[in-house]
Amino acid sequence: MTDIPLHELEMRNVYALTLVDLADSNPNIAVIEADLGKASGTIPTFSEAHPDRFIDTGVAEANMIGIGAGMAVEGFIPFCASFTPFATRRVYDAITISVAYADANVKIVGTAPGITTGANGGTHMCFQDLAIMRAMPNMTVFSPCDVYELASCVRWMAEHEGPMYMQMIRPTQPQIFDHDYAFDPATAVRMSEGDAATLISTGWMTQFAQQAVAELEDDGVAVDHFHYASVKPFDEDSLLESAATTGHVVTVENQSVIGGLGGAACEVLSEKMPTRVTRLGVNDQFGEVATEQYLLDKHEMNVEHIKQACREG
Amino acid sequence: MSEAFDREAFDDLAGEFRYVITDMICRSGSGHLGGSLSLVETVISLYWRIMKFDPDNPQWEERDRLIMSKGHAGPVLYVALAYQGFFPKEELKTINENGTNLPSHCDRLLTTGIDMTAGSLGQGMSAACGFALAARIRGQSHDVYCIVGDGESDEGMVWEAAMFAGHNRLSNLIGITDYNKLQIDGRTDEVVTLEPLADKWRSFNWEVMEMDGHDWDDIHDTVKAAREFEGGPVMIIAHTTKARGCAVVQDRPESHNIKVGDAEDFEKYMCALDCQDYELPYEVE
Repeated sequence: MTDIPLHELEMRNVYALTLVDLADSNPNIAVIEADLGKASGTIPTFSEAHPDRFIDTGVAEANMIGIGAGMAVEGFIPFCASFTPFATRRVYDAITISVAYADANVKIVGTAPGITTGANGGTHMCFQDLAIMRAMPNMTVFSPCDVYELASCVRWMAEHEGPMYMQMIRPTQPQIFDHDYAFDPATAVRMSEGDAATLISTGWMTQFAQQAVAELEDDGVAVDHFHYASVKPFDEDSLLESAATTGHVVTVENQSVIGGLGGAACEVLSEKMPTRVTRLGVNDQFGEVATEQYLLDKHEMNVEHIKQACREG
Repeated sequence: MSEAFDREAFDDLAGEFRYVITDMICRSGSGHLGGSLSLVETVISLYWRIMKFDPDNPQWEERDRLIMSKGHAGPVLYVALAYQGFFPKEELKTINENGTNLPSHCDRLLTTGIDMTAGSLGQGMSAACGFALAARIRGQSHDVYCIVGDGESDEGMVWEAAMFAGHNRLSNLIGITDYNKLQIDGRTDEVVTLEPLADKWRSFNWEVMEMDGHDWDDIHDTVKAAREFEGGPVMIIAHTTKARGCAVVQDRPESHNIKVGDAEDFEKYMCALDCQDYELPYEVE
């Protein structure tokens, strides 16, 4: 795919390179953008490699989804991307009916999730896409944390039939996994073992959770940390087994605390094994123009907050 | 499937369609009568004179596609598909029953011969663009038809697709607007006018043709001309009458979704049909 180590590349570059690689051998892979192909990384990487299967609808996200649905019914595997709010909440009904209800094999990618869209501010800052996409029948919901997981996740999406949604952070991210990593939506990845608390994270927040766990370890506090790249399907067993030992679950996500990863955990635990849960994330507020660190601090979801929540078990 | 045209036989078939559609809907207790009856001649023309398909091989790659974007016109499509042999006519009476394969709105997963799910208005034209693009990328020569409602054309997504298709010169895409001039809340020119409708589509870089949607010759000749046009997508504005042939609700907005509460209602709608004396193609109690 490239000679450069993947973790030195931007996430969006790896997304585009992976799609090119898939499209080289699969004539059904297609990319549909809604005037954000450069932001998604598919312009020029995919658009020049496979111009016949690169489609740009202009600023018309609903049309992007509908075209994707039509192409998918004809056997194509379209990857449709936009900023998370425009790839999900703006076109929620189009996805619900033309993709999920119609069981069209469309892959939807929401870029710059949550607070990672900082400079674009509140209008572009979507804190509910994990929740609303999770609530949709016949939809799977993924949020990979680094380039290796992203590449593996995109391959998995291309190789498996069905409507899917994936969050994608755009810039370079700290390396968490390596070339051997194989994405499996059925199983959360155990990042560390411990009995002080169960910590579950997804997507962009996993790096901060990992940092918090390492610092806690230095203080002699061992945390059972799981990375949930798949929020739906949700690996219930790993959570229940861990919670049975620790008795306290901390969830952390680059989203609202309502309905996403924290919501999924609470649903499982309240029904199957009532356990105390601390949800870290945005507490029912809109976003704003600000740096990531400012927003991590403001919404009390930074490394120190994660450590504190784990200690309070 | 192209058949020799026999005006009397086609008039008779249209009458039978209206009789069966009305019976199906009345039997189920409610349904979208008006928008199905306005499309009878258009749908019959497509399935008996124009489109290529194979009921024994519903997913035949070379078939023409039809997306009923105004998904509530499922009943007229179901009758056409059953009469062409996609599924037994006996199934027609199951419309809207629990567990049916014939839901009020078109569903590609349930009904053999339905190319795309529709019902949330405004989405079918985008899907049709996807179908047309897929054919273009693969070098396939079939046509893609998309029937949109006039009320449906209030939806912004229709015009996103219109702009896209015009820009990309999707010459394998033929739209048909069922312009019966009525929507649920009243006449289209009173709710939100569509006029100048033809100019709108032209300004989106579509070729525009108009036809009398109840005239066999006009429908045939116009669709034929649309198929032969290679310069880009074509929108055919079909001037129709909502609930055509059912006097009590013809050209009235309440025909959009009729409620049939009892035997008296049932009789009211059936007796109002201008074509009678057909045998139902399914057994009834």
